[in-house]
Amino acid sequence: MPASKLTLEFNDQVVRQFVLASLVWGVVGMLVGVLVASQLNFWQLNLGTSWLTFGRLRPLHTNAVIFAFVGNMMFAGVYYSTQRLVKARLASDFLSALHFWGWQTIIVAAAVTLPLGLTRGKEYAELIWPINIAVALVWVVFAVNFFWTLARRREPSLYVAIWFYIATIVTVTMLYVVNHLSLPTSLTHSYPVFGGVQDALVQWWYGHNAVAFFLTTPILGIMYYFLPKAAERPVYSYRLSVVHFWSLVFVYIWAGPHHLLNTALPDWLQTLGMTFSLMLWAPSWGGMLNGLLTLRGAWDRLRTDPVLKFMAAAVTFYGMATFEGPLLSIKSVNALGHYTDWIIGHVHGGALGWNGFMAAGMIYWLLPRLWNRPLHSVALANLHFWIGTVGILLYMAAMWTSGITQGLMLGATAENGTVLAYPNFLDTLNTIRPLMLMRVIGGALYLVGFVLLCYNAWRTVAGAEAVNGTVEVPAEEEAPEPRLGLLATFLNPPVMFSLLGTGFACAWMFAAEGLSILGLVGTLLCAVLGYAHWESRGKAWAGWYDRLLVNTAPFTILTFIAVAAGGLIQIVPLVISHRAANVEDRKQVPYTPLELAGRDIYVREGCYTCHSQMIRTLVPDVLRYGDYSRLGESIYDHPFQWGSRRTGPDLARVGGKYPNVWHLRHMEDPRAISVGSNMPSYAWLLRDDTDVTALPTKLSVQRALGVPYPDWTPEQIRSRVDTQAKVIAADLKAAGAYVAPEREIIALIAYLQVLGRSEVVAATKAETRASQ
Amino acid sequence: MSPVPPVKPEENEFRPHVYDGIREYDKRLPNWWLYTLYITIVFWVGYWGYYEWFRAGPTGAQDVAAEMARIESARLSTAPLDDPSLWKMSRNSEFVAAGKAVYEAACAACHLASLRGKAESTVAIGPDLTDTTWVHGGRPTEVHALINKGVLAKGMPTWGPVLGARKIGEVTAYIMSKHREGEPVVIAPPASP
Repeated sequence: MPASKLTLEFNDQVVRQFVLASLVWGVVGMLVGVLVASQLNFWQLNLGTSWLTFGRLRPLHTNAVIFAFVGNMMFAGVYYSTQRLVKARLASDFLSALHFWGWQTIIVAAAVTLPLGLTRGKEYAELIWPINIAVALVWVVFAVNFFWTLARRREPSLYVAIWFYIATIVTVTMLYVVNHLSLPTSLTHSYPVFGGVQDALVQWWYGHNAVAFFLTTPILGIMYYFLPKAAERPVYSYRLSVVHFWSLVFVYIWAGPHHLLNTALPDWLQTLGMTFSLMLWAPSWGGMLNGLLTLRGAWDRLRTDPVLKFMAAAVTFYGMATFEGPLLSIKSVNALGHYTDWIIGHVHGGALGWNGFMAAGMIYWLLPRLWNRPLHSVALANLHFWIGTVGILLYMAAMWTSGITQGLMLGATAENGTVLAYPNFLDTLNTIRPLMLMRVIGGALYLVGFVLLCYNAWRTVAGAEAVNGTVEVPAEEEAPEPRLGLLATFLNPPVMFSLLGTGFACAWMFAAEGLSILGLVGTLLCAVLGYAHWESRGKAWAGWYDRLLVNTAPFTILTFIAVAAGGLIQIVPLVISHRAANVEDRKQVPYTPLELAGRDIYVREGCYTCHSQMIRTLVPDVLRYGDYSRLGESIYDHPFQWGSRRTGPDLARVGGKYPNVWHLRHMEDPRAISVGSNMPSYAWLLRDDTDVTALPTKLSVQRALGVPYPDWTPEQIRSRVDTQAKVIAADLKAAGAYVAPEREIIALIAYLQVLGRSEVVAATKAETRASQ
Repeated sequence: MSPVPPVKPEENEFRPHVYDGIREYDKRLPNWWLYTLYITIVFWVGYWGYYEWFRAGPTGAQDVAAEMARIESARLSTAPLDDPSLWKMSRNSEFVAAGKAVYEAACAACHLASLRGKAESTVAIGPDLTDTTWVHGGRPTEVHALINKGVLAKGMPTWGPVLGARKIGEVTAYIMSKHREGEPVVIAPPASP
């Protein structure tokens, strides 16, 4: 047979599109970031209009940076590297184009709906349900395009970058679908199916692992391709890749509850969240090590090559962030850092340092190759690097100092520990104002650096000729790869030891007495026997893994099992346990129709971006806000509003604390009541009318979700709303304030005044163990 | 702690596959990295075992309840001594525990550890402190004053100089913890000699 060659042209058109889109959305996302950061310093920048307030723009910033900037950059990197790593053109030009344009349409839809206040009220999951469906569909397009390309590959074995891409696609699908399950009440509004503590757990299982599988694993894959290419050095260790890949994808999922430490979340989940976060430290650093050690022998080129500079710094920031993460997951450290700027600093270490610099490194490397023209200016790229680095360091230093300062001030006590040293929350906020300003400067510097990248890209690309990469492949189809059947996928030492070990460990943790001890013994046996077997038959393990690497489907199935385990074990027990029977000693009273309407306004305005509704089991929280929050006090909250950052005070028990007129004046002009507050004015709430017509549908959806509402007719609902609204309006009138009962502010006051209301019930078992 | 373990010659060999020009070494895992992994796994086992398996440590709710009781007792110790504050002390676990210790050291000899005194044993010296029939008045401030001054005629010593104000407050709280708040009391006529 003559060995005839075929020249394959890659689809680099879609890569170019994604690169340019990433640059554009990067500027937009960061610009909004600088704006919202400035709003915290200068409330006037909320500009007196509802759609530019912090509460609505902050979700726009996070969504734009995560899904638009990093998303587009990730798709560019995945498509560019995958085609070359598997020696195949992207399977379908149509799907590639659909993926690109679909994704950009979603981003535009998000940029329009979020400022309009159309939101689901869950962090990084704010987009409304029709957009959710579009995201799911486009993600499926991506998955089909990707796996179809793998199916047509001419390189039988899958490189480590591909492993990370597979984990990304599988896991994001799972997370996104579960956390976006909702029942619509209209075309633009829905309630999540989970409520209260269940919603909290599902949300942070999603939120934490969106960081893991949207911002980390695909970028690790990109690192494994672009870093050795740019450094022209071999990857340091294949076996480190294997160990850190599997441990990372398995352990990451379990760590979600570390966002809910010291809250009403059952203790066993908090313990899992904390301990698995600590176990995540080494797997994360495995990626950093493989990146940094791959640079051995190329360090001298760091001085001249901006691509390597960016990548080496990015990997270093990744190492810093993944050390800080486990540190912050220790309950006592978390008690100080949670709800403060420390967390904001932590995520920006990852976002600006790891994601932003990897994006920059990759794009500087790609531009000359995609457009066949040398980079316009290496000096500008170097300038970008230094401005960006200074920006990140300023940002992080400011946020560390700010977070620790405010955390310490909020926790400080006087008079033998019996009273708060800073009872006025605003004292702590105004202390950190200079640091918040320093953060704006750091962020702005970073943005300036990024604009330099855009300018450099524009000068490089303008008028240049786009070129597509090619590769020579044998014209003849190679013999199909040996199939790894279902039996061989599972019946082999590594998989069996892992499955059995995990099963036994779960029995130890969750089963009753006898079975629990059996689980402990089984776990230890699996560990010892597994190690012994690996020592003696290590070659067989490696041989099986080599076979796995030429089989996409078994590899994907095993990855899915590894990532699904943690979520199943944490979420299922909490969801199937009857929630009204699992409330500790307090049970929430369902909202009246007017209060529910007020709550929807609270969610729409994004109040949760600055106010928590969760008093932790910590003395400073209890001293400041009242008795700690119980599991049962938010069971009917769809979505939960426990919050993640306290720019303002906690609101879990604000009901009844102030008279109605206090809230009215405060929403109209916060500074008239709280001198020095940075909260926006919400004047439109005094002008606009509450949407009462939507309430019948909303209540019936809430009933379908298990909230015990009677089967009221629309007339009954309206009369209840009217009665309650008139009482509040009359009370305001008596205090000298005239507001029509139809106005939104009346509904919002009704809601705020019941926060913390619950009925005392017989204490039930606070903990739901998986065995029960 | 060198990040790079010594290199064996075979570690400089490449893996057989080359992907788009990328080659891979297969170097062994750094020991310090492995030990970091192992130590965190051992920590998980220990932490879970301590808090969830043996339930040896307090839960967050228990923790904060104990802390708040301590703070409440610190607040009460500087509060003016009146009936409401003494009743509050009698509901505070810190105060009652401290009072119990004082009681057992100073009072149990006559009133017995059960507080039931003569009602329990005919040889006991002091009267029952758990019933609602009080000779010298049953409001907390009256009980406090009685302990402070004593009733020498009946064999109750003057405890004020011996125990000091704080301990008398504590022991009052302990005694009152055996009663319902505001429990009606009957003042018994002085026993005829």
